[in-house]
Amino acid sequence: MSTIAAPNSGTHPVRAWSGVPVLLGVLVLAFLLHIAVGAKQLSIGTVIEALTNFDQTVFDHVIVRNLRLPRAVLAVIVGASLSLAGALMQGVTRNPLADPALLGLTAGAAFAVVIATSVLGLTSMIFIPWIAMLGALGAALVVYLIARLVPGGATPLSLTLSGAAISAFLSAVISVVHLLDQDTFENLRVWLTGGLAGRDITLLLYVGPPIALALIGGVLLAPRVTVLAMGDEVAQGLGVKTGALKVQLLAVVVVLTACSVALAGPLGFIGLVIPHVVRLYVGSDYRWIVPYAALAGAIYLLGVDTIARVAIPPREISTGIITAMIGAPLFVQLVRRRTR
Amino acid sequence: MSAPARHWVLRSKSERIALRLPVRALVALALLSLVLLVTCCVSLATGTYGVALNEVIDTLRGFSISRAIDNVVWEFRFPRTLAAALVGAMMALSGAALQNTTRNGLADPSLVGVSQGAALAVVSLTVVFPDVSGALRPWAAFAGAILVALAIQGLSHTRQGGSAIRFILMGIGLSTFISSITSALMTYGDIDRAMAALSWLAGSINAASWSDVWTLGTWCTVLLPALLAISRSSSATRMGEATAISLGVRTKLIRNLQLAIAVALAAIATSVVGPLGFVGLIAPHAARRIAPAGIGLNLLITAMVGAALVSLADLVGRAAFAPIQIPAGLLTALIGVPLFIVLMVRSRSTASH
Repeated sequence: MSTIAAPNSGTHPVRAWSGVPVLLGVLVLAFLLHIAVGAKQLSIGTVIEALTNFDQTVFDHVIVRNLRLPRAVLAVIVGASLSLAGALMQGVTRNPLADPALLGLTAGAAFAVVIATSVLGLTSMIFIPWIAMLGALGAALVVYLIARLVPGGATPLSLTLSGAAISAFLSAVISVVHLLDQDTFENLRVWLTGGLAGRDITLLLYVGPPIALALIGGVLLAPRVTVLAMGDEVAQGLGVKTGALKVQLLAVVVVLTACSVALAGPLGFIGLVIPHVVRLYVGSDYRWIVPYAALAGAIYLLGVDTIARVAIPPREISTGIITAMIGAPLFVQLVRRRTR
Repeated sequence: MSAPARHWVLRSKSERIALRLPVRALVALALLSLVLLVTCCVSLATGTYGVALNEVIDTLRGFSISRAIDNVVWEFRFPRTLAAALVGAMMALSGAALQNTTRNGLADPSLVGVSQGAALAVVSLTVVFPDVSGALRPWAAFAGAILVALAIQGLSHTRQGGSAIRFILMGIGLSTFISSITSALMTYGDIDRAMAALSWLAGSINAASWSDVWTLGTWCTVLLPALLAISRSSSATRMGEATAISLGVRTKLIRNLQLAIAVALAAIATSVVGPLGFVGLIAPHAARRIAPAGIGLNLLITAMVGAALVSLADLVGRAAFAPIQIPAGLLTALIGVPLFIVLMVRSRSTASH
């Protein structure tokens, strides 16, 4: 339980606040860099000009506005959502291994979307976020129930194992559906690897409002997560209605995960990596961890996506592949430390 | 087992050699062989080109009914059926050996990353170096699998010795890492090769040919006796490392040998049909449930269960959605995951570590 220390350990409010402008600055920088770098290199100045003073006749401005800006916005939203969801999950389940992808939520959302589009034929974009939410919620509940049944209760290990089992099961079903319906496979193949390339930004119209609400909700609930992370008895003793709080947090996590999956496909390990990194700097007070995780997650995904775009020039690596490559070693390290 | 199991006792005349064979296990073995045989015959008869069951039996006995039937049965369906049975047996034995070495009822080659290591090696061969001959596949698969196995062993061993649950979680972490590389190759490889690799990755037996059967058969005849040979010593390691050491077993050597054989079995099976998930998990548990027996007989029953399971999965996957073939690996995963969950819920080891 090394990661769960007393709240406010070594975090002075003044010091905690001071990080925000720094992170915001880095975020803006990463955002501009993400837009500037690519097949056609643009200067940061051009990017800023295109964003502030758009001129339709300038080709570079069109590149920025139509091709690169949507992707950068997507990276910010998805990165912030997933790492905030991960931070909340780690607090609620008191589990350093919690992550929307590891605990099966992402697989549930992806499964629901695949079933809806290929079996039920629901291709309208309006439904996709809601279907994804249903899937994520169902998967979360099943994983939690299974882990509860394991002798010893919902420990990090049993949660992770049951998450892995559910993910394996759902991905087997997804594969069966694919084989039965080869036409949708071409469309879904790239989506299912998780990435930000060629995403439909208009989906943001439907996904944006719930994500914004959930992000705000997550930040508002964060102070009480600190208490919850000390254990249910302690939280109840301090007057927190743990049941209601858990339901609210579950709703926030499900909405954030499902909308991220709808936007960018299943991206693993962002929710695992970022909260742990943030915790190194701000201690274990979720009041700070949660907003910092959102900012750092946005920066992280912008950075990863920039790497994905420029690593092997003519081609592009899927973003989800890189997040897994970075996240999996950290997971291994956490398991090593945790079960030593 | 409430009542003590009945045994047949076989003695040679001078009573130098005596075998005490549990009746129930022998009956189970016979029944499983029968199931396997029936499944194989039905599998030979099922397909787009209809062949009656008695025609299949006649063809197998050497009577030629027609060129077409000969062709279908001998060239297409027979190798596939044999490959399914062999692969099932190998995966089951690999799982049993893994469960023994790690003393972990949840171990399975596809869960601890061994299959994924083999898969990455094979996918990189098919996608990146398509000109390399297929004969190299088993070796590449073995190399990939053994590297992953060594990495997991190294990572999960600390000064306090290895922990069973850490082994599984390490495997999950590593296999995610490896699959991400595999999917990178898949997404950006040529679409035709990627499709070929995809159906292979789902654990499909439909492309099995006679050369595959020979590969599998050869390795099986090498590895099965080896596994049986070391299984006697390993039955002591089941009782815990300390007990085994005090009984005079060289635990480290046995452990490493067993692990190597488990990896080899899984890697070779994977190189032919792709990662077949959860067979190695299901079969040993089923075998233990069907008939408690000594470790040698238990391994035989395990192999039989695996063979019957994969043959059935292949048959169902082929027949259920007739023109479309569902790879056997997906069906075994669909059966295996619920079982994994049941085992997890029942286990005590998950909580105590």
